[in-house]
Amino acid sequence: MMGMRKILLSLFVIGTLVGYSLSAIARPTIEELQARDFLDDYESNIVYGYNIVMETERYAARYVGNKLRCTNCHLNGGTTPDAFPLNVAGLYPQWRSKNGVRNGIVLRIRECFLYSHNGVLPPDHAPEVLAVAAYINYLSEGEVIGERPPGGGVPTIPDTGFDPNPARGEVVYKRACVVCHGADGAGTSVAPPLWGPDSYNAGAGMNRIDKSAGFIWANMPLGQGHSLSHQEALDVAAFVKLQLRPFDPREGRLAKLAERIWHRITSLFGKEQP
Amino acid sequence: MSLRGYARALLTESRPDFSWTRTVNARREMLSGLTGAALVIPQAITFAYLVGLPPEYGLYCAVFVGFFASLLGNTPMVGGPNTAMSILLALTIMPFAGRGSPLYIDYVLLLSVVVGLIQLLIWLLRGAELFRYFSPAAISGIKMGVGLLLITSAVEGTLGLAPLTTQFFYEKFYIVIASWSDIVNPYAATVSGITIVSGLLMRKRFPRTYIITAVLIGGITGALLVGVLGLVRTDIELLGRIPFELLPLRVPTVSAEYLLVMQEVFPSAVAIAVLGLAQSLVIAQDLKGHVKTQVSLGREVFAQGVANLAGPFVSSFAGSGSFNRTSVAVSMGAMTPLSGLIAAIAVAAIAWSLGPLLTYLPMPAVAGVLALVGIGMIQVGEARRFLRSSIDGPVFVITILTVAFLGLKAGLAIAVLLSLGFFIAGVSKVALVMVDQDGVERIQVTGNLFYASLDALAHHLGEHPGANTLLDLTRVPYCDSSALAMIEAIKRERLEHGGRLEVVTAD
Repeated sequence: MMGMRKILLSLFVIGTLVGYSLSAIARPTIEELQARDFLDDYESNIVYGYNIVMETERYAARYVGNKLRCTNCHLNGGTTPDAFPLNVAGLYPQWRSKNGVRNGIVLRIRECFLYSHNGVLPPDHAPEVLAVAAYINYLSEGEVIGERPPGGGVPTIPDTGFDPNPARGEVVYKRACVVCHGADGAGTSVAPPLWGPDSYNAGAGMNRIDKSAGFIWANMPLGQGHSLSHQEALDVAAFVKLQLRPFDPREGRLAKLAERIWHRITSLFGKEQP
Repeated sequence: MSLRGYARALLTESRPDFSWTRTVNARREMLSGLTGAALVIPQAITFAYLVGLPPEYGLYCAVFVGFFASLLGNTPMVGGPNTAMSILLALTIMPFAGRGSPLYIDYVLLLSVVVGLIQLLIWLLRGAELFRYFSPAAISGIKMGVGLLLITSAVEGTLGLAPLTTQFFYEKFYIVIASWSDIVNPYAATVSGITIVSGLLMRKRFPRTYIITAVLIGGITGALLVGVLGLVRTDIELLGRIPFELLPLRVPTVSAEYLLVMQEVFPSAVAIAVLGLAQSLVIAQDLKGHVKTQVSLGREVFAQGVANLAGPFVSSFAGSGSFNRTSVAVSMGAMTPLSGLIAAIAVAAIAWSLGPLLTYLPMPAVAGVLALVGIGMIQVGEARRFLRSSIDGPVFVITILTVAFLGLKAGLAIAVLLSLGFFIAGVSKVALVMVDQDGVERIQVTGNLFYASLDALAHHLGEHPGANTLLDLTRVPYCDSSALAMIEAIKRERLEHGGRLEVVTAD
């Protein structure tokens, strides 16, 4: 009898330990979190952060100035490799040449609002920023600190031997992109705007041809990634970059506006030469 | 009070009283309401920031709490977000959730429901009477203590710092002075400095509109700085877009965990409810002289309770009557709740139509408003008046010091205790006037005779057991059994020693 009890007891202990360690490893999915009737502060911030990523204009309306959502570039809520996945908490803080300082994850998120969402720079302690940070932290659980997760960022386009050609890019755009993104690049109900007042501004990472070409090659047209050639991706990225979009907010908007007006007045372009 | 009288009082107070519609001067009310709306918008944004909620919640509070309170009350008192309550709401919920997180918003709104319920309970228990015993010195002490808290809570915003958590208010100033060159954002400090200085310069000449003008001047300065130098270089925090809805319906979440938290914060909820009622009722008392309609404190308690109970269902946190906005409304000739109703509707209209313009409002200018409101609450003339009195002076000073060093809740408790203490001290004071009339001593007693106030009289009467005394009790409104027993005992003692004690009463 004694032996039986001992076996049962040890089974119980082992079961508890296994269950406990499993529960520590298993990360609840967003749907599981949303279905719970009580979330603690961290969990509720994860769900809030997920909502912001999926419906930015609704949940982070305060700091957003255009019609883009985070998930438009960080595809599927930042879970798709080669599409700027968000499981990168372990890479921060890191030095970035963009601003020349050590960037914490919070500063990185704030700059997304400023550049990609063409909004206002949220403060360090904005609840929206902290929620997105919580979501990124949640996605990064299990990643190695300091090591870039496989499929991070976007793939680098190899040297094709040719410069990006926006004129050819326009042809590619009209063939492959115009159905969803529209002829004026203002987006449709199924795709986000690529240029114009409702798109990212000139300071955004997407405005760099290397980044956008990598993204386009790996993921565009949506669901048919890798269908364009490397050169086509570079060409269409160059075409999109040349379109009109909001200024880079690193320059004062008023100063930039005055500069443009001054150029318009003093420019000889299109005028008859004496 | 009989049960029927009680029921009748509840019925009359809970029914909206529109008798003011007969005497209303609509034009004057309209003007005062519109001014009030312009006045409350920067304050609502600031107070939402104090509570730790997005700015639209402050506007919702100004619209809906203000609307309900004016609809059910019948004074020109302007309701809406309130400084002291905002600070207390934030302090109460801060330990349970991160500032501004979804859970935090849920908790604040649920706490507001609890506050509304407590206020209705106070109404059912006829608690409005109690607030009459609140000493004006204590209320004024709380007001000025809150002014001090406001100025200290504006420090981070005006200088462009992340929120500092300190135990005592002076530590913040120490941190800023010790490391100003590392942490202070000069652009933010410029914007807030211009806001505050222009506000202070205009305060004397334009007492009604100086805050709006100051926030305009600060806002334009900030917009120019950001426009010319860029957002990244100046790093000035902007307000951002306010997603204002006209009917932000919302059902406060209630679950076992939420209720546990509410149970834990219940004492704070009581403090917030009492604080809100105390301020509203002081304003209502003040208004008694100004308005033609009959001011009923019970009705105002009911209005506040319902406004705070219903507010969270339209995304508003708990509020109360506002000293500064009511005084502006009254000075512009408001006599009826109509001005409050118009102000609430006008806030909704302005926020809904001009919301996008507010996007670039720099937060340092808003923090400057916070400091200006705080400075406005510290009224030197009033303080001097209280300090001259030997009773009000200590009450006033002790309340301010408690609010500043131990926080609002402790300050409120001290204010209640001191008011009660001095009330009791005042009640138990008995004046004895002794006249010698042809060998008969005549003692005129003025005051209440009860167990706590007997000592002096008993001591005097007991000194000369053989004397002949006439005790005049015609100016004694209340005489309890222990006083009667004492008089009987002394009568017997006098008879034993050959003296006499005769009592004259009013009837």
